[in-house]
Order: sequence, then structure tokens, then C-alpha cells
Amino acid sequence: MSSISPKTDETTSPQEARAHSSGLAFEEISHAYVAANGTTPVLRNVSFAVESGQVACVVGPSGCGKSTLLSLAAGLMEPTSGLTRWKGRSVKPGTNPDLGMAFQQPGLFPWLTIRKNVAIGLTTRGMARHEAAKQADEMLETVGLSGFGDAYPRQLSGGMAQRVGIARALALRPKLLLMDEPFASVDAFTRLKLQAEFKSLLKLDKPTVLFVTHDVSEAILLGDMIVVMSPRPASVQKIIPIAREDRDRAGPGYARKMTEALQCLGVETNLSGN
Amino acid sequence: MSRMQVLDRLVLPVIGAAIVLGIWQGTIAYYGLARIVLPTPLEVANTLWKLLGNSGFWHDIQISLKEFFLGCLIGCLLGIAVGVLVGVRQDARMVLGPVIEAMRFIVPFAWIPLTVLWFGTSLTGKVVLVAYAVVFIMIVTTARAIATVEPTLMRIGVMLGMRPWEIALKIHLRAAAPAIASGAKAAAAVGWIAVVAAEYIGASAGLGVMITNASMSLDTSTVIAGMIVIGIIGAVVSWLIGVIAGAWLNH
Repeated sequence: MSSISPKTDETTSPQEARAHSSGLAFEEISHAYVAANGTTPVLRNVSFAVESGQVACVVGPSGCGKSTLLSLAAGLMEPTSGLTRWKGRSVKPGTNPDLGMAFQQPGLFPWLTIRKNVAIGLTTRGMARHEAAKQADEMLETVGLSGFGDAYPRQLSGGMAQRVGIARALALRPKLLLMDEPFASVDAFTRLKLQAEFKSLLKLDKPTVLFVTHDVSEAILLGDMIVVMSPRPASVQKIIPIAREDRDRAGPGYARKMTEALQCLGVETNLSGN
Repeated sequence: MSRMQVLDRLVLPVIGAAIVLGIWQGTIAYYGLARIVLPTPLEVANTLWKLLGNSGFWHDIQISLKEFFLGCLIGCLLGIAVGVLVGVRQDARMVLGPVIEAMRFIVPFAWIPLTVLWFGTSLTGKVVLVAYAVVFIMIVTTARAIATVEPTLMRIGVMLGMRPWEIALKIHLRAAAPAIASGAKAAAAVGWIAVVAAEYIGASAGLGVMITNASMSLDTSTVIAGMIVIGIIGAVVSWLIGVIAGAWLNH
């Protein structure tokens, strides 16, 4: 069967994606949730690849299956059909040692201190306790939370807790970083701060990133490419490459990419009154 | 805490106890009851005082507590283990769910004739009975608490590289711990009731035996003193579990 994946400079057909052994690739993924009252198809024939070290931002209408895509990439579940590949190997349910993931809710363990919340992934993966604590402290400092190591999650504000969730994912030094709307539940000001911080943090290890968001401006700011999804059952509607100059909010590129993405999402962009 | 609150906490419970004692004494006076039917609070207090100096009484308490703690321990451990299994795994839930649902309505007391038949008046029978009384409460509270653990926490466990048993122990069980602790408190109360009930019917020693013996020799004062001791021990045990669980959970 012929692939309907869109052709741009940045995309590859599923056959070519297989050749990219370094990054993350979705190959003709379809997925449906099966419940007692019937099946709900969420993804239909989704194919795209994210090259190693690249940041792909996935945008789409709410409920279109963006989070499902992340769960598939994380190996939290298996697709109904199709294949997810990481470094050329198909992703199986279970643990991927390259993986770091942050969620919409910070999901901190309320019974652990902030330091232990960040360190737990490292100790689980076999690092000695004191070394993990040291690295956790370093990561907390990087996200601007030094001095909060002994606090408990309930003592933190939403934005701070979200930072801890991100620090926990980054402390693993992941080669594959999956982000499920990590900034969606914090206020606008904190979000801008976190976006800028996150951007500079990515420079440390250059992970491959799949970043789900509903905010197109966030996608332009953070992404090397934007994957626009259609409503459920979602397929890839368009892949928009983002160049460095497109991130200048005052520049023409930013407006052009913004318009392109929003039109693709079916949002009226001409609100200037003409 | 202000001085007023301290005073309230001391004085108000005393008022409650005084009301009960007043009704007790008043009933005796009003109906002109004989000591053998209902002794006065003072007489019971006197009996209680004498019991405290009696080694047999302490032996009975020791027997009852031993049966209770062994039964509770077995029932709690087994109940938590099965509860985690049932809460985490759907296949286990399907296999064990109906059996548990049916059995938990067969009250422990319905088993007393069988335990007497099987284990006689030995320690084992009482321990089994207490464990039985405790286990279902623990299974049901544990499974329910685990089912309501925030699903993101499990996904985080997988993301962090935890194996299924680690997720069950370090996330499910730990997140459910506060609910399990309050379940244990309720279960302990039922377990203590089961000990005494079992001793009433078939035992060679223990508080229940002490009471039934006193009842047969028409020593009503000792019967009531024994009942008061049962109440006090139950309250203390329940309070202790609350304190221990609280200290452990908020370390």
C-alpha cells in the first residue's frame, strides 16, 4: 500500500525511515483503544521520523492521540499495527534505558523529597545512592531549584513541581526525551521561563526529542520540525520544518510558520480585521 | 495548643465517662437492682483493682493479645499481598474477586464451630479466626487503594526503568500505604472482637474465658470489669496503630 505521509525536505518515507538507524521513527502506525462498548481508533497510518538530536513538536486538536504517540514511543504500549523504531530497533513494551519522559502532571512521588524524586530514576538504573543524590542536586541547580532538595512535593508551586518533573527526566541523561505537554498546566509567565530554560538544557546532551504541545508558538520556539496532526483518528497532516531564523518572534519567518501551522489546524488566522 | 484546649481535651472525655457512670448508677437505684444483676461502678472499680494484682488476669490478657497479634500479623501480611496482586493484575482480580466477595460476608463468628472442631481450644484456632477476620478487610482496602493510585505514577515507574515488581512495591503499595494503614486500624478492631468472641465459645485461657468463668460463678462484677478491660485494650491498640502508621508515613 502506498504511504500517504507528506513529502517535505525533512520527512522520509517509511522505507527510508528504516535506514535512519540513529533516531526515532513511526512507521505506518495505527492504533485503536478497545473497550467494552467498542473500539476507538485514535491513530491512522502515522509515519514520520525524527533524526537523532532533532526536536520534533507534535501539535494537533485535543484528544487526537498525541499522547498515544508518546506512549508508543516510550514503549508503554504497543500499536494495533505498524512499528515504532528507536535507533533502528523496534520499540517493545518495557524499559528503554535511553528514555526520559515528562508528563503534563509533574507526577512526583509525594512521599519522597525533591532530591529523591529526581534521583530515583538513577538509583533504579543502578547508580549508587550518594552519586545519584549528587547528580540530582546538580540537575536541581540547573533548573533553578537548588536548596529545595529536602523539600517535599506538596511544598512546591505548580511551576516548581513541573521543573522537578523535567529535572527527573533530564537527570537520566536520556538520548530519547519524550515530553507530554509539560508546560500546559503552569501559568503563562512561568511557561515562557520554562521554555527558555528547557531550550538551553537541550544543548547539554542533544537528545532526540518528541514534544507534544497544543501551543503552536511553543512548537516553533522549541522544535526543529512541527508535526501537525489531524483530528481523531489522527494522521500526519503536515510536517513543517523550522529554521533558526523562524524563531524570532518579530521576524517574517515566525509569522509564516505560525500561519502555516494554524491553517493546517483549521484555525482562522486573519484576525486583523481586514 | 492553648491551655484552654488542653483543659478541654482532659475535661470533656471525663464528662462523657461521668454521664455513662451516672446512668449506670441511676439505673441500679431506680430499679433497685441486686449486685448479682448489675453491680455498682464502685464495686466494679474495686474488682478491677483486685484483678490488676492478680497474675492469672495478666496471663489471660497475655494469651488474648498473643492470639490477636499473631492473627493480625498473618491476616495483614496475607491481605496486603493478595490485595496488591488483585489490585495490580486483572487476571488475579478475575480469579479471586468473586471468591473474596462471597467469603468476606461469612462473618468470622460463623467459623467458630469449625475452628473449634479443627483446632480445639488451642492457640491456632484463635489465630486462624483473627487472621480470617482481618484478611478480607485488608484485601478489599488494599485493592481499592491501589486501584485509585494516580496512573501517571505507574507510567513514570516504567519510564524510570522499574520492573513490574518494583512498580507494585515502590509505587502501588507505597502510594496506597495511608489508606492501607487506616484499613489496618479498622481490621485490628474487628480482629480484637474476633479474639474475645472465639474465647467465649471455645478456649482454655484468655479474657473471654475469664469472663465466661466469672459469669458461670455469678461474679457479675468481674464480668463487667473484663468487658471494660477489653474495651480499653481495643482502644489502646487502635490508637497505637494510628500513631505508628502516622510516624512511619510522615517520617
